[in-house]
Amino acid sequence: MSTRPSALPLFHRAVLRTVQHVVPLMEREEFLRSWKAELWHMHNCVPRRRLSALRLHIDLPLGVVSDAFWLRTHSLRRSLSGTPSLCLGFLLGLSLLSFAFAVLSYGGWRGLSIHLGTQAEHCLVAVPIVLFVSSAIASFSHVELSSIPHTLRWINHLLFAALKTSLALVLTFLLSVCLSRPLYIPLPHAADLLQILFFVLFALLAVRWSFYDQEQRCKHCLCSLTTPARVGRPSHNLLEWTGTEQTCKEGHGRLSVPEMETSWHQYSRWIDQTASFDHVASA
Amino acid sequence: MSPPRLSHSAALILKAISLGYCFGFDVMEITGLPSGTVYPALRRLERDELVESRWESEDDAFSNQRPARRYYQLTREGKAAALAATERYPLLARLLPEKHS
Repeated sequence: MSTRPSALPLFHRAVLRTVQHVVPLMEREEFLRSWKAELWHMHNCVPRRRLSALRLHIDLPLGVVSDAFWLRTHSLRRSLSGTPSLCLGFLLGLSLLSFAFAVLSYGGWRGLSIHLGTQAEHCLVAVPIVLFVSSAIASFSHVELSSIPHTLRWINHLLFAALKTSLALVLTFLLSVCLSRPLYIPLPHAADLLQILFFVLFALLAVRWSFYDQEQRCKHCLCSLTTPARVGRPSHNLLEWTGTEQTCKEGHGRLSVPEMETSWHQYSRWIDQTASFDHVASA
Repeated sequence: MSPPRLSHSAALILKAISLGYCFGFDVMEITGLPSGTVYPALRRLERDELVESRWESEDDAFSNQRPARRYYQLTREGKAAALAATERYPLLARLLPEKHS
């Protein structure tokens, strides 16, 4: 008659009980099941002479821990990837890093603050010009919305765009300060000029990126759109639909971008994923 | 699409699975890699759809008086990747013997 498999030794049970809290709740049961099976196999099916104490008491618990941490970081990566908070956090992190580098290269906060004051004034004058030029030369693709956007959603959209652009500008300013630093002692005037030139150049790129990034985000949750898919054939440019479609990973909708502003759509079109569409898709 | 470039340890694990070493400890033992490398690598390979896992049926496991095991096997992409990895790391084929069941 079959009996239940014997239990694991106390040490391994304790390791599993402790480490399981690192694993996301959704995957915890499967994690425990996998590891219980693996550990049981090692204890009961592998001859003792092939299983050293080092492997049993150090290597395997390390495996349990690293597996649990992999699941946790993977889940974090999956939930954070493309989100507006990750974008802002990344820009903020880079800005802080550049700031720390600038402080170090100027020999402390005192040295940097004297220099920053005048340079910041010059760059503040350049910012409206950069914004104006970027807006004038940006090829905004007009986006038609299939539903009227919620006011709060628009406020979020604008807030995110403003924050992202501001952080990108701060970052470009700090980068320009760091890059012009080597010339600051031998050629102070040239360094000042170079710093403004660097700032204007980087700021133009940063603002253009910011506009582009804003277009490539979901109109509901502001997550980056994913899975770009070609639609139609390029030879059908003037005949029927051809272009690219991108979808929101949360399933809020999709953005249809025509290859040319021709017969398919004149403009890019945001299509909300409504409940009725879900019903059709699942049928 | 060209098969993905794999690290040496990922290629070793993939090769081991292709030779019939189909669960975690089996792979760990034959490759000599530490468990902290093998188990996360198996998860990465599964995420990248190079391997897939299936659980042994509870009935089979119960009749053998042990918990059900999680078995790994190569997908079609995984087989292509294992082949490409063997060409890239020719010693892999000599390092790992085929499993005799």
